[in-house]
Amino acid sequence: MEVLSFILGSLVFPGLLFASLIGLLYIGIDRKVTGHMQNRIGPPIWQEFLDVGKLLSKEDITPGAAQSPIFTAAPLVALGAAVTVMLLIPVSSPQPTLTMVADLIVIIYLLNIPAICMMLGGYSSGSPFGATGAGRHVAQLFGYEFVFIIAILVAVVRVGSLGLPTIVNYQAQQGWLILDWRLLPAAIAALVAIQGKLLRVPFDIPEAESEIVHGSLTEYSGPKLAIWRLAYDVETIVVAGLFAALFLGGPTAYVIGGVQIPSIVDFLIKTLAIVLLTTTLRNIMARLRIDQALKFYWTSATLLAIISLVLVLVVP
Amino acid sequence: MTFIVPIGPQHPALKEPAFFRFEVKGEEIADVDIRFGYVHRGIEEALQRRDYKHDVYLIERICGICNVVHTTTYCQAIEQLAGVEPPERAKYIRVIILELERIHSHLLWLGIAAHQIGFNTLFMLAWRDRERVMDLREIISGNRVTSATNTIGGVRRDVKPEHVPTILRGLDELEHSTKYYIDLFNSDRTILARCTNVGILTKDDARKFCAVGPLARASGVDTDIRRDHPYAIYDKLSFNVITEREGDVWAKSMVRLREILEAIHIVRQAVKEMPIGPIRIKVNLEIPRNEAIERTEAPRGELFYYALSNGTDSPERVHVRTPTCANFASIKRMFLGGTVAEIPIVIWSIDPCFACNDRVALVDSHTGKTFNLSLKELRKWRH
Repeated sequence: MEVLSFILGSLVFPGLLFASLIGLLYIGIDRKVTGHMQNRIGPPIWQEFLDVGKLLSKEDITPGAAQSPIFTAAPLVALGAAVTVMLLIPVSSPQPTLTMVADLIVIIYLLNIPAICMMLGGYSSGSPFGATGAGRHVAQLFGYEFVFIIAILVAVVRVGSLGLPTIVNYQAQQGWLILDWRLLPAAIAALVAIQGKLLRVPFDIPEAESEIVHGSLTEYSGPKLAIWRLAYDVETIVVAGLFAALFLGGPTAYVIGGVQIPSIVDFLIKTLAIVLLTTTLRNIMARLRIDQALKFYWTSATLLAIISLVLVLVVP
Repeated sequence: MTFIVPIGPQHPALKEPAFFRFEVKGEEIADVDIRFGYVHRGIEEALQRRDYKHDVYLIERICGICNVVHTTTYCQAIEQLAGVEPPERAKYIRVIILELERIHSHLLWLGIAAHQIGFNTLFMLAWRDRERVMDLREIISGNRVTSATNTIGGVRRDVKPEHVPTILRGLDELEHSTKYYIDLFNSDRTILARCTNVGILTKDDARKFCAVGPLARASGVDTDIRRDHPYAIYDKLSFNVITEREGDVWAKSMVRLREILEAIHIVRQAVKEMPIGPIRIKVNLEIPRNEAIERTEAPRGELFYYALSNGTDSPERVHVRTPTCANFASIKRMFLGGTVAEIPIVIWSIDPCFACNDRVALVDSHTGKTFNLSLKELRKWRH
């Protein structure tokens, strides 16, 4: 019975099927909102489904220089890692599908796997654009990841637990962590790190299309590219879900006017709000250069996170 | 260790085919080699095989964006050959269309420049405003891009009095948004981070490499054919020549943006002061042997035409030098020492137009080497 529920969890809800549907839908909304922000109509919100569907039905081509198992496996591993994180974050109740003692450490590790797979794919693609994109991605990873970890650490220190369910339960009693003035800088730093993690402007440097075509993914096409898109879309919702659980109280059930609102709705609203926030940020800025991005991460963003950490440790 | 980053012949940073071979050390550019000729169309040769009237249509297709300035220069050169002067009203209409074209070209440049630095919202907004200019051009000439307004001896369509309020209203809207873009380029931190101290061309280098147009003016070289060698009715209008000192991408953007404001100012004056009268005179196109040169200020810089007539109704020779051709000498200096991230915006900062610029390059397809032909061999090839 436990095996069956695990398989259902990883393949249907909240795993592959649910995460893919919501991820594709959110990126569709993201594209539509972007269109309106740029004073154009924009694609219909199901455009991402059509795009991925079309890519899946195309011929699977691997360039001669990229004939290696790594090139083929990279998108699959990335998607797998992103879906696994989906099982570890609270979606429909404070309790995630899989629980372990220190699940935040596992989540931080798993969230890096799509990025690492992208670099491996870029390096193994045999294209100078892929190699340049992967090189930039490595550099950028060392920028945002430190900020991201410190920001998570602040929440962990505040609550005194490395378990995500404990953090969510703590917030149910004590109020959202983002409303605590000591944690506000950390939440902002985490948002900045998310912008870099999701490769959105101003931190879309590893896939800057006018400079290096599509960075690591330049040589990918057809079904492999579709899986990359899917992995990216799932990663988007996973990162938003993690932020919601850490700082926005996670999924909570409400009763409004006698009607029971299930916590899954709360999860969807919170993640959509975070995705729309990153959409807004990416539409009001120009892309930075890699050196400027690193400087920003290692000075301003790190400073914010560390200030927050010190505040949490010092101020009772 | 250096490795090669090929930009082109097909690349998202290039709007037309050209080949830039960058030698890159990590992110830093160590050397660059440029190769053109992918879109050579043999227009100069084709001009000699048609008559003067047909050539206007062919000339119009040298450059899609700055087609009016090409036909104006050509028509002025042929009018000079034939020794005729177009009517006053025609000159005013030419100036109106020319300046609307400058606005359209600079807004197009702004949009793609924003795209090159990853600012897609500004890209879309700039192109939305460009639509307004195209609408104004459609009102005047009947066409959005290729206006087909000029002809030898004048213009083909008049600006009707009932259209003047629409034109003025459109200019007001454009002025409003251009001022907003200038404000944006002065204040937005990500734009400043990407554009200042990037792709610098010093004043000395600009002089040495004979840069023209906004590229030269952004480096502090005070040059503008409209003022220095006035054609049409530019001597009767008041306008400023915009210069900046820095010579970086930011200065080049600022020169172009402020030129839009000047162009709006010029169109307003021209619309107001336009005299009433004929718009075209008849010209006898069997022009005896004569030669003429004509220079105009295209949106990208100095446009140069040489025309030679031989007594028949088609030219013996028409030579075109576009501003892009003059500006390519400066581009290598702007790249060296920069980073890969700067390549697209620095290429675009000279506002290149490869198809207008392309000359024949003879390349051995097996070895990749270019070679030259002597005049004798060339004659043999031609016949």
